[in-house]
Amino acid sequence: MFLRKTIIALTGLFLCIFLIVHLSANSILVLPEEMARGLYNSYSTTLRESPLIKIVAYVLYLSIVLHVIYALLIVLNNRKAKSKRYLLNRNRENSSWTSQNMGLLGIMILLFIVVHLANFWARIKLGLGENVALDANGHVDVYEVTYSLFRNIYYVVFYTILMIPLGLHLNHGLKSAFKTLGFYHKKGLRVLAKISLVYAAVMAVGFGLIPFIVFLK
Amino acid sequence: MKIVFKIWRQVNSKSQGGFETYEVDGLTEDMSFLEALDYLNERLVQRNEKVIAYEYDCREGICGQCGVFINGRAHGPHDNITTCQLHMRSFKDGETVVVEPWRAAAFPVIKDLVVDRSAFDRIIEQGGYISARTGTAAEANAILVGKEVVDRAMDAAACIGCGACVATCKNASAALFTAAKINHLNSLPQGKPEASNRVLEMTRQMELEGFGSCTFTGACEVECPEEIPMINIAEMNARRVKAKWLGK
Ligand code: FES
Repeated sequence: MFLRKTIIALTGLFLCIFLIVHLSANSILVLPEEMARGLYNSYSTTLRESPLIKIVAYVLYLSIVLHVIYALLIVLNNRKAKSKRYLLNRNRENSSWTSQNMGLLGIMILLFIVVHLANFWARIKLGLGENVALDANGHVDVYEVTYSLFRNIYYVVFYTILMIPLGLHLNHGLKSAFKTLGFYHKKGLRVLAKISLVYAAVMAVGFGLIPFIVFLK
Repeated sequence: MKIVFKIWRQVNSKSQGGFETYEVDGLTEDMSFLEALDYLNERLVQRNEKVIAYEYDCREGICGQCGVFINGRAHGPHDNITTCQLHMRSFKDGETVVVEPWRAAAFPVIKDLVVDRSAFDRIIEQGGYISARTGTAAEANAILVGKEVVDRAMDAAACIGCGACVATCKNASAALFTAAKINHLNSLPQGKPEASNRVLEMTRQMELEGFGSCTFTGACEVECPEEIPMINIAEMNARRVKAKWLGK
């Protein structure tokens, strides 16, 4: 179980770093169109063509898969350990709702990831669905893919709402990962709790707001 | 005062069990929770019914025997106390009070509210002691230990093994208990020679007993009568990594 928890923590932390990079790239989208289109498309072309990024991408896929699989194994084992439930359980008085529902939040995020991959990854990388045009510089027009997706208000709402579970999951997950790995500095943990909160808020608000800005532009 | 008790009754570990309701009149606010159960049992004896089985010993918060789940919380509605430290003034007149045994696969119900906590003993058997002779008090005092280390070790040593951490944990994890025992001994000079074996063997036994994994909900430290902080679990994890990969 310790090994499983360690894997969940390490993959989780890697995904946390990935999100920072992802959000930074996304913020290009809110720039004025003339700048944003070229920058965003050349950025994504660079990513796709870099062999180093290819390796990182595989680590990323693997991280998501391992994070999910090992979380599932841990949940199943924990369920077995708590085979009988209480008739009355006031766990809200001793712990946060988030910490009690990481699995549920994780499932919501997974659902988001599936839709998100279908929207972008499947079209651009796998070439499924509608053909993606090239921009003036001959780069794949990922900018256009994004903007056409977020002209649809349903997608905007979906992308925004599902950032709430993401934020909650990150807030509990980031600080817990450190504890799982054995970080037990008292003051450090207090700082870490604040960092987790700020990090989670920035991620949730950042990712959640950009589709709206794109929609309104 | 009057209380409607809804209490888990179970004949033995093999039987099904279920809730029974008892209306008890004539309780007073200054009765402890255990006295209220005593009072109910006396009424049951008078009516020639089977008394409710529950555990206790010291009735002053030091033995850890009196663990039951009361109205959705381990040891009742307050933070950081034992059941014997809970009083009826914490409930309203006429209130329904649900009383359940600790729930964890590793703590099977023996009868009514009594569970088998010997899984804890077996974890202790794997290293929750030191095998070196410590000598007399005078000799022990000759070993210098820093104040901070002593305080931390003492805080962890305060664990009374009541099982509230396991009971309240949604994963039935025994991480806080095991961590308290490990950190107590491993931080002191007397515990050092066996430190790495202790952490590896005790955590191994913890898993063999069928306790779940810690996901840091933090419920345990709120229910622990000795206020042992959750940071102990992170410390145990660090000690385990060190023992496993660095061999110390
Ligand atoms: S009876 Fe000893 S702690 Fe409650």
